[in-house]
Amino acid sequence: MNKRKLNRLFELVRSEPAPVPREDFAADVLRAVHREPPVTAPEALAISDQLIRLFPRLVFAAALVIVLCVAVDFGLTAAGVPGLGDGLAQISAQWLLTPDEFRL
Amino acid sequence: MNSNETVSDDAELLERIRNGATDDFAEIVRRHQSRVFAILHRYERDAHKVEDLAQETFVKAWRALEQFDGRAPFEHWLSRVATRVALDHLRREKRRQNEIRLPELGDDALDWLRSDDEKNELDARSAAELLDLAMRELSPLDRVVITMQEIEGCSVKEICAATGASGVAVRVRALRARGKLRRVLEKLMKDENE
Repeated sequence: MNKRKLNRLFELVRSEPAPVPREDFAADVLRAVHREPPVTAPEALAISDQLIRLFPRLVFAAALVIVLCVAVDFGLTAAGVPGLGDGLAQISAQWLLTPDEFRL
Repeated sequence: MNSNETVSDDAELLERIRNGATDDFAEIVRRHQSRVFAILHRYERDAHKVEDLAQETFVKAWRALEQFDGRAPFEHWLSRVATRVALDHLRREKRRQNEIRLPELGDDALDWLRSDDEKNELDARSAAELLDLAMRELSPLDRVVITMQEIEGCSVKEICAATGASGVAVRVRALRARGKLRRVLEKLMKDENE
């Protein structure tokens, strides 16, 4: 099967007529369409709309993070370990806010 | 007078359909049914199945009508819907290929395959049956790519739009499909000779 013969086969197939639709084909399609729900425009959502939709979830996630941090802080304090706040203050005092200590 | 007769433009007709004139969709079907049947006939030889697939195409087009933005002609958009319906159909058929009895190749097609004489001609129907038989060996996507390129004369860009494949993938698939088709046809020739 050479290239020319394959091309000839494609050419022959191109010339084959397609089946002709029945007279009432469009009416059949319309009946099927009538059984479908009505066409409605897709809801276009702006970024602000999407944020409003997400708002309850965002609020919930933020509240959860705050509650967790407070609970951990209380837990550490109760266990005698310095709380998160104390730990952070200590670190900043030792390393971050005292550049003089790095001078030789 | 039918109100549709006054509407010459697809866009205008589609606007009326969107505004609630559902029955005008029949006019859209009448305008484009021949094209849809022609596309689907490339992938399915059974006329009844072609009709079912054409109906599926128009119903899917109806469901997705709001997605048609009018940037390209409606006919192009509908052709893409028909091609995707055909691709889904080929994938379903491929899955149950073992259950399908393959049609036997006619003597005319066999003679034509064996002959080196250019004057030995084959009628379009036999040629289509022969090609259909060989195409069954291709993957559904390869079949769609080679059919769109070689039979429908579509550009690579159009094939990409219809199949969702990249330009490189389309070119590779077309090349591979041609090679495989040649091998399958050679094998058919040898098998029938034995």
